Amino acid sequence: MLKLIQKTVEKDKFCVELQDVSTYYSGETKPAITNVWLKIPIQSLTLIVGPNGSGKTTLLETILGLLKPKTGKIKIFGYDIPKMAVEARKMCGYLPQDFMRPPGEPFSVKEVVGMGLASNKPFGKLNGKDWEMVYDALNLVGIEDLANRPVGRLSGGQQQKVMFARALVRKPKLLLLDEPFSALDESSRKFISETLLSSLVEDGCTVIMVSHDISFKPKRCSLTVKMNFGKIVEVSST
Amino acid sequence: MISGLILNAILAGVMAGSLCGCTGVLCTRMKINTIAFATAHAALAGSALSLVVGGDPIFLGLMFALLTAVILGPISDYLRIPLDMASMTMFSVYNALTFIFLVISPGATLASEKVGQILWGSILAVTPKYLIILTTLTIIYVLFVTTFWGRISSILFNPKLAEAEGVNVKIYMYTLVALAGAVTVFALRITGGFLVFSLLFIPAASAIQLSENIRKIVFTASFLGLASAIVGVGLSFILNFPVGSCIVIGATTILAGAATISTIKRKQLLETVKVTSQI
Repeated sequence: MLKLIQKTVEKDKFCVELQDVSTYYSGETKPAITNVWLKIPIQSLTLIVGPNGSGKTTLLETILGLLKPKTGKIKIFGYDIPKMAVEARKMCGYLPQDFMRPPGEPFSVKEVVGMGLASNKPFGKLNGKDWEMVYDALNLVGIEDLANRPVGRLSGGQQQKVMFARALVRKPKLLLLDEPFSALDESSRKFISETLLSSLVEDGCTVIMVSHDISFKPKRCSLTVKMNFGKIVEVSST
Repeated sequence: MISGLILNAILAGVMAGSLCGCTGVLCTRMKINTIAFATAHAALAGSALSLVVGGDPIFLGLMFALLTAVILGPISDYLRIPLDMASMTMFSVYNALTFIFLVISPGATLASEKVGQILWGSILAVTPKYLIILTTLTIIYVLFVTTFWGRISSILFNPKLAEAEGVNVKIYMYTLVALAGAVTVFALRITGGFLVFSLLFIPAASAIQLSENIRKIVFTASFLGLASAIVGVGLSFILNFPVGSCIVIGATTILAGAATISTIKRKQLLETVKVTSQI
């Protein structure tokens, strides 16, 4: 299966392809995104920008197959979405916009990060090597010392880093980040956007990042997609 | 004879109680308590139907519960209504069916022992056959939860994120709902249809008072479910009260104890924080 995935990855030039995709929320007559055509090259960093309600998060969730498109075709590494979504998602990391957990959340930081490996392991069981990967991911985002803390007792910024570590521990070929800096301080934001994301792309990962902050552009950003009213209004490459 | 009866009832209580405690935690975390309501009352309706058609109440209850677990998701999708709403609709339908089946069942209705077993539970309902099936269910349940704990815990934390990472959330959810339905059918024989939720949710509520980690909460709830069942069966024998009611009394007493311990612990923690900050 892994060989097949690697072959598919090598064969396709584009990591994500959307052809005339429109997505509606249940019960809505107006589409959340309309007639989206987009091709995202492998090993690139794409920034999706636009005001609130422009369809950025809907686009990310449609790419992952979490929302089913009413029309159009989506492919991730050649896999049809949502038909083959489970297979495609195993190669993806995702940092959702709504990451905050209540103080009573009964999971520790390392358990939450370890969950990122569950879908890719037989029966979801982690071994000693997997736990080493968990600590490496925590170390990468600078929160190794919080490993045993309950996740709900952390600050918003720390919780966002936990979710970042969870996405990274999967060693994804496609990383989808929804407003990844919304709770981070300036230094963390700088480190992640300038150092971490750049090294991920250099290592072969494709990153798609959503942000409402048009003024902020990470280093190595090769494609900027502007959205408004559920439509792509501009695509510019750097 | 009596000691054999007590032993069977205690064994059934130990297994059904611990499974219910665990199920209560999982259902609460997955926010599917209303599904548990619907499946429990489906089991109740199935058991009541057995009084009319003469079948095995466990088998019919199980069939109703499993069928409900399977169809609730598709009904919710088809009608485009939340799962909670679909569950409560089915809950009402099953309640209505239960009363109709009880009324049309042959013989004296509410006074009969069989009806009493379904509504209020009875340790007389614990037969060797029941024990064998319950033991099998316990083994399947424990194997499923322990084997797939990595993925189940990911779903318990955030089902949408688990789905985004390639966990087949629907399969695990439906399996857990089906297992919850099966557990409810067996607990129903001891506690009765109206009090089955006492074993499902009171031990879970007590466990949350005592533990802060999900694994510990699951273990504690299982243990407290077991303890509630044993206390209930014991009280039922001593006082000759319905076993379901006695289990509720036992479980609620444990909850009161757990809440007290939790309050004392919190106060002690606050004291420690005060002393540390003064230093």
